[in-house]
Amino acid sequence: MTDALAGAALMRVARRESAMLRLAKAMAIAFGCLGVLLMYGPVAWLALMSVSERPLTGKPGPFTLAWYEKLFADPRWLDPLLTSLGIATIVSILCMITATAVGRTLPHIGRTGAWLLLVFLVVLFVPGVMLGVDFIMFYRLFLGVRTGLWSLIFAHFVWAFPFALLGVLVVAGRFDTRLLESAMDLGAGRWRRFRDIEMPLLFPGILSAGFFGFLLSLNELPRSIYLRGGTTTLPLFQWAEASSHTTMVPLIYGLSTLITIASLGLTIIALRQLFKGGAA
Amino acid sequence: MSGITNWRSLLRRPPTGDWAVFTFSIVWCLGVLLPMAGVVLFSFVRVSAEGLDLNFTLNAYREIFLTGRWEVTARTIRIAATVTAILLLISFPFALWLAKGLRSTTWKIVIWTLLTAPFFLSDTARVVIWRPVLGLMGPINSGLMELGLIERPLTWLLFSEPAVHFGLLGPFLPNMVWPIFLSLILIDDDLIEASKDIGASPWQTLRHVILPLSMPGILAGIIFSFVPMLGDDVVAKVIGGQQVLMLGGAMLDLITALNYSVAAAMSALILAIIAALQLLIVLALRRIGKGASLVEGLRK
Repeated sequence: MTDALAGAALMRVARRESAMLRLAKAMAIAFGCLGVLLMYGPVAWLALMSVSERPLTGKPGPFTLAWYEKLFADPRWLDPLLTSLGIATIVSILCMITATAVGRTLPHIGRTGAWLLLVFLVVLFVPGVMLGVDFIMFYRLFLGVRTGLWSLIFAHFVWAFPFALLGVLVVAGRFDTRLLESAMDLGAGRWRRFRDIEMPLLFPGILSAGFFGFLLSLNELPRSIYLRGGTTTLPLFQWAEASSHTTMVPLIYGLSTLITIASLGLTIIALRQLFKGGAA
Repeated sequence: MSGITNWRSLLRRPPTGDWAVFTFSIVWCLGVLLPMAGVVLFSFVRVSAEGLDLNFTLNAYREIFLTGRWEVTARTIRIAATVTAILLLISFPFALWLAKGLRSTTWKIVIWTLLTAPFFLSDTARVVIWRPVLGLMGPINSGLMELGLIERPLTWLLFSEPAVHFGLLGPFLPNMVWPIFLSLILIDDDLIEASKDIGASPWQTLRHVILPLSMPGILAGIIFSFVPMLGDDVVAKVIGGQQVLMLGGAMLDLITALNYSVAAAMSALILAIIAALQLLIVLALRRIGKGASLVEGLRK
């Protein structure tokens, strides 16, 4: 009798707990949806506004491509875009070379590697604005070097390198160095070992390092504000126009929509590369 | 024989890799870490557009406290801390579900992609749209008025502290979710099963198994969202307007006004706060004894 009662009580507890678990799970999913909405709602709304007749009211409808026509008729954004693309390409190449050179060795030198990783990642613990201020004081005031294109490339590289390095490390961490030994036993020289064995196997990581470098540079703002010299990159242009109250603002919606779509596409390609490399 | 072993162990490293790493590390330390340290030095001397005057002075720090710049720093820290706390509340359940609840691989990849892509998108593009949406005549105000909930448009929706808090949530959410997710996915499912088998309720499992094991990730999430938020200069400028000045804006004003000493002092102050926070977290991790798993998490 008491056993049955205890069993019933246990059942009740179990049922209450599973109901609570279901509730907790529903709550977690709801939070996740809220998060995704917070991240992508603005992007979607921005795209919607860029094809609306009166974007500054924040309300969609009547739809039109007039803003895009105006955008292409008034190409003041073309120079900043080309500057940004140029810088991003250089940063991307620099990232691929350095992240490969460092990333292929780092997992195989034990504790030193872990410490060095910390040294490279430490810039992620400093807000971008501070880094911009630090750099401008050191290079322009202390060393007396003029800021300009080089300082933008440098700042973007410092920002992108840790991500590029992590991209290469994801793949390099799984690289079996015995492959290089076998290649050597078979008589392959240093350069052939790298070109025919290491590089193809690390390629997904190297490629994603390049993508990361390109995208992070293309959209970098806080460091650029300080280190721009006389150069205007696309984010600087967008930032200045977006916080102003000029007639350019609706055009910025269209421009930002296009850049965001392009960046999303490139990110997905990069992640697929990395994922394929990681799975292999 | 031993000659061959040495030869082999030398080979285990990629050719000339050490040399490349060594050179690059030196360049990185001189070019990146030295300027960061330099700012601390500059904050104790007089810096003007003409150059440095290497006499020790605390003037810059005095100026921070006398001119109200301290308030900007305090406000920035307060806002960043509040938003970080809200993000933690949203992110932990989500990350837990993502790591342990969600089974479908397709959805996992979709959500991972959604969480990664924002790192590579322009903040301005995502923030600028809040201006018309939250504005006086925006859809939120007109919607509420049509429903008869308010008579006049809410003025505090834009160019206010609540607006800045709200605007910071979206851009920094992935910074919080990723580290927590990584630490949760490292927890062995068997541990959770075992906890269940010995009669722990789900809450006890959460409290005594999952929470302590994911602490490195939670602390990393706090750092990775709080720290960059301190330097945010998009949200405050675009939807905080003139009303909510944060560090990013204050710093730009200082540099524009060529007030390098105070900029250096504020930068050094923030560095000190971040370093103190980091130290606290390292100490906390040492107590839990799980510091190493974060590095492993990164390598995964």
